[in-house]
Amino acid sequence: MPRPIYLDHAATTPTRAAVLEAMLPYFGPRFGNPSSVHRWGREARVALDDARARLAASLGATADEITFTSCGTEADNLAVLGAWHAAAETPRRTVVTTAIEHKAVLAAVHAVTTLGGRERVLGVDADGCVTIAAVDAALGDDVAIVSIMWVNNEIGTVQPVQALARIAADRGIPFHTDAIQAFGKLPIDARTQPFDLLSISGHKIGAPKGIGALYVRRGTRLAPLLHGGTQERGLRAGTENVALAVGLACAAELATAEMAAEASRLRALRDALERALATSIPDAVVHGAGAERAPHVLALSIPGADGESLLMALDLAGVACSAGSACQSGSAAPSHVLTALGVAWAGAAATLRLSLGTLTTDDDIRHVAAVLPALVAKARGVGAVA
Amino acid sequence: MTGRVLVAMSGGVDSSVAAALLVEQGFDVVGVTMRLFCYGDEVPDRPCCSLDSIADARRVCDRLGVPHYVLDMADRFGHDVVADFVSEYAAGRTPIPCVRCNTFTKFRDLVRRADAIDARWIATGHYARIVDGTLRRGVDPRKDQSYFLWGIDRAVVARMRLPIGTLTKAETRARARALGLESVADKAESQDICFVPDGDHVAVIARHLGPDAPALQPGPFVDRDGRALGRHDGYARFTVGQRRGLPGGSTRPRYVIAIRPADRAVVIGTRDELLGHGVVARAINWLTDPPAVGARLTVQVRHHAAAARAELVRVDADEIEVALDEPVAAITPGQSLVLYDGDRLLGGAVIESAGRMRSALPLYAEALST
Repeated sequence: MPRPIYLDHAATTPTRAAVLEAMLPYFGPRFGNPSSVHRWGREARVALDDARARLAASLGATADEITFTSCGTEADNLAVLGAWHAAAETPRRTVVTTAIEHKAVLAAVHAVTTLGGRERVLGVDADGCVTIAAVDAALGDDVAIVSIMWVNNEIGTVQPVQALARIAADRGIPFHTDAIQAFGKLPIDARTQPFDLLSISGHKIGAPKGIGALYVRRGTRLAPLLHGGTQERGLRAGTENVALAVGLACAAELATAEMAAEASRLRALRDALERALATSIPDAVVHGAGAERAPHVLALSIPGADGESLLMALDLAGVACSAGSACQSGSAAPSHVLTALGVAWAGAAATLRLSLGTLTTDDDIRHVAAVLPALVAKARGVGAVA
Repeated sequence: MTGRVLVAMSGGVDSSVAAALLVEQGFDVVGVTMRLFCYGDEVPDRPCCSLDSIADARRVCDRLGVPHYVLDMADRFGHDVVADFVSEYAAGRTPIPCVRCNTFTKFRDLVRRADAIDARWIATGHYARIVDGTLRRGVDPRKDQSYFLWGIDRAVVARMRLPIGTLTKAETRARARALGLESVADKAESQDICFVPDGDHVAVIARHLGPDAPALQPGPFVDRDGRALGRHDGYARFTVGQRRGLPGGSTRPRYVIAIRPADRAVVIGTRDELLGHGVVARAINWLTDPPAVGARLTVQVRHHAAAARAELVRVDADEIEVALDEPVAAITPGQSLVLYDGDRLLGGAVIESAGRMRSALPLYAEALST
């Protein structure tokens, strides 16, 4: 069995040992419900408050601005739909977003069109960036909420969130950013950056699946999606997941503390891999190469190669990566992100997303750079059916 | 001679046991499930894209400790198999999509995937055998599927493994239980064509060609002499040899004996008129060196038909003709003519027509007419 190499950190990450250890008491003796008045409840409440404060600190926020959710998708939905519903009594019925958002945002935005709202989906340039001029033109006085991701999950391009959020703020339009791939990779600080709503996800940063959070700037109006008790200041009913909230806070602190060193380490490894592949697979096209990119993602398309065969060959060689964002039915339709970039030939190419993270070593990168070209050469034979 | 083998797994018992046997034999097994079609919105109660079958195959592979992948081959399958299926019905013929799936999808396109992962071998759960590099009938006469395998490129046969061809269906199920594959051991047998839900091939044709397609429009029932006998509601609903759906009022059983798209006629006649004495077939594929004209063979004109003794009377580049020792009923354009020497598969072709050639017996029809 070949040595396994995990290059799919943008899909999910292993739960870090320190995070697991921090959570364990809440699966054991500290099992209380934070809403209970007795000592078990108090213990849980203290842990939850502490987790909220620690997560807030890692975002430059205050504790009351953090809402825990069950995942990043829920945070995105709460931001987009919550802000849209909260503006129900106003003429602001339009949601603005971009064509390269994660489906969690795109589908939530599209959902408003079934509720009487409108969507305005902005295109991006060939490097996968939305222009400031396009956003400026789109933010009319009919807009209830604008949602633009910080780092694209398929190609890693960085959007000018600070400048875009400033435009929205000047017009009194709430600005949401999906920062699920940005957190721990780029500096995020609610004190200096004028976003109003920001989503993060635990399992992308070393916490388990099943926990996310939405930053909600004080004064931002939001309607809940889940109705029930008054947990999370009424924004998210349901008994809080104390253990996972503790895990998320722990992972966020670690990611923030390590960010500067880890980002430059990953960037150096990513760039080395990119240079090696540019030489060994000269026709490979790196997506977003002309834009600012997060340090951990390398997305490339290889014309004439079969993507499914290449992923299979890589997995059999011990290398785990993905073809972009995973799809449950295994659909071979070109990704909506590449389509938005104008990569019309993506359907006739193998697209790989190699994403680096805590597990990635120099050896991993050297090994992948060495084995990938031969696997690509074999995957080029697959499509040769007349 | 072990090594890596790519196993096409449908999630059913046959391919599951095939994979398990190859693991036992020491092969480096890689399981794949092909996603070949999508019912779309028309069949809301079906799991779209065979997701249930994919989950079954994945579970079996997990149990066997081997990797499993899903390959989306719907584009090529749609082109090579579904489109042909529809156009054959439109041409008044009765296609066998399983033959084309084996020829083009499993043993051509999937072999390219095997090459990409350095798999020397390709395996399926067919009831047929590979013996000394030749294709043979499976040992279970009721399950033998060699009839569907005649179109495979001869060079690929050397790379095939068909591990359950030596088993009966009952033995396969028993092996599945013994291997702990209870989840698939007692699955019902699929009789339908995979992409034709509920056996309703007319619905598939209508979806592809539109409800106004000539094959789905009313037309006449006629007899051999052109006498009108009634109306039918689309010749695509009929196949040669069919009795269901024909007009009544005859004392003798009547059968469809031909379909004539030019005037949308379904020709009906007696049992005698259904008999053919020879077969002309096209798109010949040989799995062995071609036998000489005059060779004695056994042939099969339909899955589950009895093997018939015949003589090879003509071999052109693409077309062959055989003369049957005894007449055979319902020789149907679009079905396969498969040639055997004992249990060894020699090749096959797509039936074009029941040949006019009679065997060496006295040509009494001509004798009567003179």
